[in-house]
Amino acid sequence: MPRADRIAFIAPRFAEGGTVGGAETLLKNLADHAAAAGRQVTFLTTCAQSHFSWENTLPPGRRQIGRLDVHFFPVDPDRDVGEFLRVQAQIDRGVPVSARDEVLWIQNSVNSRALCDYLKAHGGEFDRILAGPYLFGVTYHAARVWPDKTLLVPCLHDEVFAYLGIMHGMFGSVAGCLFNSAPERELARRLYAFPDAKSSVVGMGLDPFEADPAAFARRHKLAQPYVMYAGRREAGKGTPLLCDYLHAFRERTGRDLKLVCTGSGPIEAPPALQEHILDLGFVSEQEKREAMAGAVAFVHPSVNESFGIVLLEAWLAGTPGLVHARSAVLRWQCAQSNGGLWFRHYPDFEEALLRLLDDPPLRHALGAAGRAYVRQNYAWPAVEQRLFAALDA
Amino acid sequence: MSDPMFDIKAPGVDAEKLVAEIRAATEQKLAAGVYADARIARAERLNLAHLRDADEFLNFYLKCLRDAVFVDISDFPIRERRRFFGPALVALKKVIWGLLKFYTYRLWSQQNQVNGLLVTAVEGVDQKYAAKLQELERRIQTLENQLAAASKAGKGT
Repeated sequence: MPRADRIAFIAPRFAEGGTVGGAETLLKNLADHAAAAGRQVTFLTTCAQSHFSWENTLPPGRRQIGRLDVHFFPVDPDRDVGEFLRVQAQIDRGVPVSARDEVLWIQNSVNSRALCDYLKAHGGEFDRILAGPYLFGVTYHAARVWPDKTLLVPCLHDEVFAYLGIMHGMFGSVAGCLFNSAPERELARRLYAFPDAKSSVVGMGLDPFEADPAAFARRHKLAQPYVMYAGRREAGKGTPLLCDYLHAFRERTGRDLKLVCTGSGPIEAPPALQEHILDLGFVSEQEKREAMAGAVAFVHPSVNESFGIVLLEAWLAGTPGLVHARSAVLRWQCAQSNGGLWFRHYPDFEEALLRLLDDPPLRHALGAAGRAYVRQNYAWPAVEQRLFAALDA
Repeated sequence: MSDPMFDIKAPGVDAEKLVAEIRAATEQKLAAGVYADARIARAERLNLAHLRDADEFLNFYLKCLRDAVFVDISDFPIRERRRFFGPALVALKKVIWGLLKFYTYRLWSQQNQVNGLLVTAVEGVDQKYAAKLQELERRIQTLENQLAAASKAGKGT
């Protein structure tokens, strides 16, 4: 195929302001870099900002944001949230649902007919259409308009929704996929027999930074060692498990180890642990980086990740990772980089954390290996090379 | 499309080897009973869904449950943090607890009964399915052997 010069990116929300999900940030960053490389990029998205209400809070229409030509379309107002939640609850519980219910579920997900109509009318003007993440009606329906030129950026997880028949159909029809990691590609191969010839592992680039490891503790008068977590605080991300483990760790070992958290959502922790948690909420990038740099380890207890941007950021800060072994992606990142350890259960967690606490040279060696890995594989030039190779294939 | 252009295995420390060492250490400690602790069973409640394929850990978890199942409501010391009237307040609390103990006893003994039955049931289900799986594996092995023998005989003719 000749060079893909005209590219449309599609995401349910536009990452402006930093409070959207990782998948939307990924798509926006890829779009930015494609535009910076001289490609003509159009970004199609909805007027919604909240991933709870999906209310149309932004005005519809076209705006130039940085290098991107962004088109905002309203979310369909007639979605039946009750039906959506009914089927979703069934899927979530592992109850088999009929093909009709699967369709009902995706039709009442977050959709935009206006966006699809635009794509039907103007899709011929694009060489490539990139859409993601996989779990939204917007992505599903957009991928059906021009499947032969659509590349999914699925951010696929090993979760019940990935096993739905409609997902088989979507992955089977598109021209290709841009995965964030090799385990994600392996999952698509296992679930949908997705051919390697149609897939690429691209990921997202990160700019290197320097952060003073002592600055955060000094500013917050924190004399004790701490572990860090950054991101959404919810069961799906494993934060209640981290709190339970840390509470047991403190009780069993007698070590005064604190937990520093950034991000959104309530922290479900045993009452006795509450006073040992420093919850910063949303902080500046510099504050987050300094907090990461001073931590004994960055703990990522989530088992459903397609990339793990925060883990890569922690490595750039020179801090080792400690991740759940059930997350194929995070474990792969740790094994590839030699930048972190992984635990299956509490005994592994306790043993690994004790090693990291008691062996600063080991901690520094792991952090340095992680940093070298990110700088080599996730520097923007490397990511751009992979992205453009996939676009022009 | 393209192959992943990733550098495999950064030089320096070996994370896989470290994790293997950590696992060896935890296995030893598990066998020595270092982790037979109700606090771990509590901490592990949210991780159970991820341990479905870890047979050994499930056995360990059941052992922890068995250790923790019978609650003893008399096992806590009555203390008083206030300096003044401390001994008097402790004595008062002990009297109140002595009076209430009788009423809570029934609730407590029923809870212990339920806990004990639940652990027995879980262990029973685990043993039953383990035995069934063993039997199925044995049958598959026999059938595979028969199939291999039949195919060998077929080739010979």
